[in-house]
Amino acid sequence: MMWHNVWAVIRREYLQRVRTKAFVIGTVAVPLFLTVMIVVPNIVDSRSDDDEREIAIVDRTGVLLDRLQPELVELGWTVRPVPWRSDIDERLRERAEAGQILGFIILDDETLSAGVATFETTARPAAVRALTLRSAITRAAMEYHLAASGGAESMLSGGELRIELLSDAPGTDPDDETPQFVVAFIGAMVLYMVILIYSVAVMRATLEEKTSRIVEVIVSAMKPWHLLLGKIIGVGAVSLTQLAIWLLAGALALGAGIPTLMSARPDLTGLVDVQAAVPGLGRLLLFGGYFVFGFFMYSGIYAAVGAMCATDEEANQAQFPVVMLLAGPIMMVMPIIQDPSATWATAVSLFPLFSPILMWARVSGGGVPAWQIVLSFALMALAIVAIAWVAGRIYRVGILMTGKRPTLPELWRWVRAAA
Amino acid sequence: MTDDGYAVRLRGVTKSFGKHTAVSGLDLDVPRGIICGLLGPNGSGKTTTIRMIMGILLPDSGSVELFGGDPDLTRRTRVGYLPEERGVYRKMKCVEFVTFLAEIRGLPRAEGKRRALAWLERLGLPEWADKKVEDLSKGMQQKIQFIGTVIHEPELLILDEPFSGLDPINQDVMEEIVRAFRAKGTTILFSTHLMDQAERLCERVCLISKSRKVIDADMRELRASERGGVLALEFEGPDAWISGPEVTSVERVNGGLHLMLSEGADHQAILRRGVSAGATILRFDLVEPRLHEIFVRHAGADATGDAGTPSGTPQAERRTP
Repeated sequence: MMWHNVWAVIRREYLQRVRTKAFVIGTVAVPLFLTVMIVVPNIVDSRSDDDEREIAIVDRTGVLLDRLQPELVELGWTVRPVPWRSDIDERLRERAEAGQILGFIILDDETLSAGVATFETTARPAAVRALTLRSAITRAAMEYHLAASGGAESMLSGGELRIELLSDAPGTDPDDETPQFVVAFIGAMVLYMVILIYSVAVMRATLEEKTSRIVEVIVSAMKPWHLLLGKIIGVGAVSLTQLAIWLLAGALALGAGIPTLMSARPDLTGLVDVQAAVPGLGRLLLFGGYFVFGFFMYSGIYAAVGAMCATDEEANQAQFPVVMLLAGPIMMVMPIIQDPSATWATAVSLFPLFSPILMWARVSGGGVPAWQIVLSFALMALAIVAIAWVAGRIYRVGILMTGKRPTLPELWRWVRAAA
Repeated sequence: MTDDGYAVRLRGVTKSFGKHTAVSGLDLDVPRGIICGLLGPNGSGKTTTIRMIMGILLPDSGSVELFGGDPDLTRRTRVGYLPEERGVYRKMKCVEFVTFLAEIRGLPRAEGKRRALAWLERLGLPEWADKKVEDLSKGMQQKIQFIGTVIHEPELLILDEPFSGLDPINQDVMEEIVRAFRAKGTTILFSTHLMDQAERLCERVCLISKSRKVIDADMRELRASERGGVLALEFEGPDAWISGPEVTSVERVNGGLHLMLSEGADHQAILRRGVSAGATILRFDLVEPRLHEIFVRHAGADATGDAGTPSGTPQAERRTP
């Protein structure tokens, strides 16, 4: 009887949600949002130096510049060809530091034979920009070989563009751009967003049932605790469905898209790095684990918040401290990624309500001892039991209450009274 | 199961919210197999009483029995409960919503759906089965909710203001359905502030006013015992003579007047007064009082509050022995 009821609630909750437009839109919008978050700073980056996108190019080979220049111009660079002299690098460095040019590239025999060049610059180019610059140079070298001798085997490695920041460059920490950082940060953001969105969904659903009084009919047929359980599992299943869709799409893009792209464009060697940064199955399982545990903790809290409020406005107010619990760790993600083994990082990441986001940030960087991961899950499990105990009691009384929001002492009475 | 002859039994039930007493020392018996009305103006404690029967609220003192025991989950599942607020899942399709309510009462889903469709047909809403509940009018939503209440064929129907918000035609439809359930042996307890409706439907009434029970009696006995208390009057001419010591209040009914008489009043004295005052008496008839009038006689005119007076300051109340 109990599971029949819980199952009915799970089923209703799940089907009602995955059929909505909101679900479809959310499934599409979140990856878009993340992409925009990552791409936009790059675009802004590349726009901000529009007026000084002038680079000097010294072509010691005498054959590359003609091919390279039109392509670079097309990519938005202003190219100033400079003839070679023995002290040209000194002079160009001075000019770059004086702000006259953004940087310079010297094309030499190595560039011609292996596609390798060095870009000395005062401002680290955005990843996209560096990639297009590199592929332009490599392609110029490759085209030369194909035209001249028909053999371009040496180009197959894809070439390389070394980027050297000049002394006064407002350089960001190069580590910030490593794929690991991206995985840690995006993962933490996704965890934050999905846990928040779906926990709030539990709160709204609770509030809707309470204010419409449909809950009175439902609890005349089942225990409030079973209703809560079914609701959380149902909403959780929706969120897992969404995560699964994202992962599947991601796997398709990476698993099928990248090899295709790599064979089509062997010059884009950056793809190898992207591929290397893709989290393996173990990481994905950890990600799923932190999500599920995090969702159970927060959805319980949010259900209690929904049950104790009478209107949307009240609930929005009351959920503020809970949002802080979720948003706090997001602000700690950056420093933690930079120093994942610091004592303070270990301590805060083991606090159960912070664990999903912070442990993930540490784990995705690697080097976290297994016992800490196990401990974090054990602590979260304890937290879930504690939250279920308290929230279940608040929920049980709250959903049938009418009138104003309870004070803290009243809440405590609810918890004790519902034996 | 220790079922006795009563579907619902309350003894000395009191419930307060802060300083406000919603229900005070209420005894209530609902025998099985009848239609029982819980009557009273808005704010008199009807909904609180029903919520206590359903175990949604716990009484401060007194006892609540449902089918001869605690209103626990097993017994509550034998009840079809229609709350005062029309709670629905707005985004669900009608048939799915009703099926869900059947499912949580333990019916298999296929059976729930079959019954849901049959009921939609019966209430004239078959084409709405796959529409979202929110697309329906309020009255139609109410029908959907009613279907959800009876879908598991409960032994006891507890309906809180089931007819409010329905047009007269649909009120009749619902009344017919309630009678049909009664004919099948279902017990029905419903609350209303519409006395006329209770009069048509109920075999037993419990009238409460300002949190206290005023009358609790079999409908037929009640009317018989109150016979002679109301004088229907039609006349032409002066009207000052109608007020007198034996008349407690006057009401305009169907073009004539209904005079509420005090107990043991001499109605012939009124007739003599009228004649000597020069009025032409067209009708002079001792009638069975309407429920409303019985209620007024027992609770006082200010206690009826059909228009929705909230219970405010306490006043002296009379209780029938």
